[in-house]
Amino acid sequence: MKRFYLALFIALVPLGAQGAVLDVQTVRTDKNITAWLVEDKTVPVVSMQFAFLGAGAVNDPDDRQGVSQLLSNTLDEGAGDLDAEAFQAALNNHSVQMSFSSSRDDFGGSLKTLTKYQDRAFELLHMALTKPRFEEEALERMKQANIARIRNSMTDPEWLAARLSNAVLFKGHPYARNSGGTLSSLPKITATDLRNKLASQLGRDRLIIAVAGNITKEELARQLDRIFGDLPATSRVAELQQVEWKGVRTAQYIKDIPQSVIGVSWPGIKMDDPDYFAAEIFNYILGGAGFGSRLTEVIREQRGLTYGIYSDLSEMDAANLLSIGTSTRSEQVGEILTLIDAEAKKIAVTPVSESELGQAKSYLIGSVPLGLTSTDRIAGMMISFQSFGLPVDYLDVRERALEKVTAQDVMRVASRLLDSGNKILVLVGKDAKLSETDIFETLPDIE
Amino acid sequence: MRIGNLLRLGLIAPLAFLGSIGPAQAEFQKVFGAKTAMLDNGMQVVVVENHRAPVVTHMIWYKVGSADEPKGDGVSGAAHFLEHLMFKGSRAIPAGDFSKLVRSIGGNDNAFTSWDYTAYFQSIPSQYLRHVMALEADRMINLSLKDKDIESERKVIIEERRMRTDNDPQTLFMEQLRAALFSNSPYAEPIIGWRDEMPLLSHHDVMDYYKTWYTPQNAILVVSGDVTLEQAVEAARKTYGLIPSREVPEHIRPLTPDFPAETRVTMHDKDIRQPVLFKTWIVPSFMQDKKSYYDLSVLAETLSGGSATRLYQTLVAERRKAVSVTLSYEGDIRGQGTLWLSAIPAEGVGVDELEQEIDKLFRELIGNGIEQQEIGKAKTRMIDQALFARDSVTGPAMVIGQALAMGATLDDVERWPESIGHVTQTDVQSAFDLYLHPDTPKYLPVTGLLLPQKEKEEEKK
Repeated sequence: MKRFYLALFIALVPLGAQGAVLDVQTVRTDKNITAWLVEDKTVPVVSMQFAFLGAGAVNDPDDRQGVSQLLSNTLDEGAGDLDAEAFQAALNNHSVQMSFSSSRDDFGGSLKTLTKYQDRAFELLHMALTKPRFEEEALERMKQANIARIRNSMTDPEWLAARLSNAVLFKGHPYARNSGGTLSSLPKITATDLRNKLASQLGRDRLIIAVAGNITKEELARQLDRIFGDLPATSRVAELQQVEWKGVRTAQYIKDIPQSVIGVSWPGIKMDDPDYFAAEIFNYILGGAGFGSRLTEVIREQRGLTYGIYSDLSEMDAANLLSIGTSTRSEQVGEILTLIDAEAKKIAVTPVSESELGQAKSYLIGSVPLGLTSTDRIAGMMISFQSFGLPVDYLDVRERALEKVTAQDVMRVASRLLDSGNKILVLVGKDAKLSETDIFETLPDIE
Repeated sequence: MRIGNLLRLGLIAPLAFLGSIGPAQAEFQKVFGAKTAMLDNGMQVVVVENHRAPVVTHMIWYKVGSADEPKGDGVSGAAHFLEHLMFKGSRAIPAGDFSKLVRSIGGNDNAFTSWDYTAYFQSIPSQYLRHVMALEADRMINLSLKDKDIESERKVIIEERRMRTDNDPQTLFMEQLRAALFSNSPYAEPIIGWRDEMPLLSHHDVMDYYKTWYTPQNAILVVSGDVTLEQAVEAARKTYGLIPSREVPEHIRPLTPDFPAETRVTMHDKDIRQPVLFKTWIVPSFMQDKKSYYDLSVLAETLSGGSATRLYQTLVAERRKAVSVTLSYEGDIRGQGTLWLSAIPAEGVGVDELEQEIDKLFRELIGNGIEQQEIGKAKTRMIDQALFARDSVTGPAMVIGQALAMGATLDDVERWPESIGHVTQTDVQSAFDLYLHPDTPKYLPVTGLLLPQKEKEEEKK
């Protein structure tokens, strides 16, 4: 019976070209604005995502951490002839979902509207980007909301662990700062800071746009010029140095909680590295898969040491990371760390099995359409391709490249990435009595 | 049912209403256009067609949850523990292989447990639908657990509880608040189980529950995506259809009475930096009273449907008494429903003052009436949400499965916009007066105050 099911599944052929699933048109407007579009006439909805590359929180001054975050909170708090209440009411009454966000690297936004309200939705977006009011009342409200959010997060060990990781991995680099602002920096930010950032950083020269839903190429081109055409043609953002890796380190924030949060990081790999696709497969087999990954198998399924353990590859403008995250009862921290080290060693010196390799490829190629089931997910996938500088036919490129990866490739990239001389460990929890640990009494960039 | 809520949480995003339709027509348009059939063994099959991508979401919803666990045995969390153990193998599939098989075809799978239902789902390329049906049907009848897997998985759920609850004083507080609210109901118990009872969960607890409740006529199959009803039913007959059904017990949902004294729960904790006020009231659920359900849904959207609506505009923007305030209605449940209010006071405002300000606003709104226009806009927004509802594959399966699992019908789901459309200003005003009047509410609220340590020290002085 067992053999029957396994044969049933694994003998099945992987899917064909993914490109057919994501039929991207490139739109170029009179004002030279470019967007990717996936047209879908079956829904009464249009989803748009956009980003200004490099205009994120890395531009925040040291003593004004949170400028970028506050800008994202206040653009939709009053614009043009509408005050904050009237602007929010205009969005609400037309069921328009508009939001802005700031990551470390980029400043972004998204809009989702029913086609019947799209004219109003695009006009409101145009107003938010070009005529925001930044009134004192609204700015103060948003500062208070952010301060409450930070205070509220201070009981959340995962949030504290993210702060500690920032401080340790990126020490001395703008990435170490808190993108969400700090309790002391937020009150200092003024409307002038927001205006300056908007005028100098959000230019058409760094704008990328992705749209999915019920809109034609021609109509979209017309709307894009209306929305973004008045933005400055050129803009300036901070130049970033690459993050310098700190070598092997262990850091802990001591907190009396029943479960410790653990993060282990190494330098990652750039998406344009020839070994990137082998690294995707390596990550999937080690811990990216969740269920079925080696880390989950050994640490959760066989020993019950944790609820979850994952590995992840992430790419930022100035750093790439390979990270493993998990949590466990404080007494078991040492045991989990030993098991992680053993798995890291094993995958770096022994080739993965052909069946593991085959299953990883099947999943990584076959699961792509699962991400293409709604207009906002489609727009989201396209915006991430653009932000990483990937081509329109990237899904096809990736599929062909993944198919070629061998077990030797996976071992080579594993051994390259899992260099024990580069391992940085961060912990939040009771004292784990690990050797050579930097103990943090307080975490930087919260207060 | 909770289409609006799910959308706001970003859980679903939207179909195929061809072209654009106005609100008047939308009221009579079915939300999902789902099709349904019944297998011979009494298992319901529901299909929502969506052919945008070659994928389907396959979900099995069991009409049973933690509220159906045996009471008074000193053990809690069996429903959720079983959900975990369903991945630990059957006579045909070894422990852990279920998810690996799903991954190997490019699919994702998971499961979740609530008070009233337990659901298992896989999102997969559509050509493998019959394969996952075979796997899911197998574990509906053939679950076979080894002691070592039970031992290790019990440790996993205890770690899960530490992560979700024990590690954060805010979640521990919410757990107690809920227990205080539902003082005569299984809804008082955390789904995952009480910390001190979880270690007692045994093979016997889990298998008893499994053998009592996991049977085709107590399950609903919902498939959404690139498939037709005929294809789904044909595959279901050859898998689920082969399993004989047995009778299941009644769902017992004892009612918490309208106690004469108000309950207040206060917690001071050294790690709390941000004071928060909670107020929660017992109100009718959909299964208790459909009319009240729609009235309360419109009431909550009118008062707290984003920052342009009344609670935020008055308490945060105008009067500067709060940093945030939200009111939400949890009515998609088999037993009693609830209204939850949570508010963060503005700098320099105490939680007691904020509480008085909320009472004051409620008295004004009940006395003077909410404007017809505010209610009309809330209804339009809710009806609009239904138009977004099918721009998703998993979303429709979630909404339909949850509604049917608690005992609603497919017609209830499809006619949601129409039912919302029928709610009048008087209906909303009456519900407000009856359940939320600060001086004469039908059920006195349970009030929760989450506070930093230092205020406690000040009190002692």
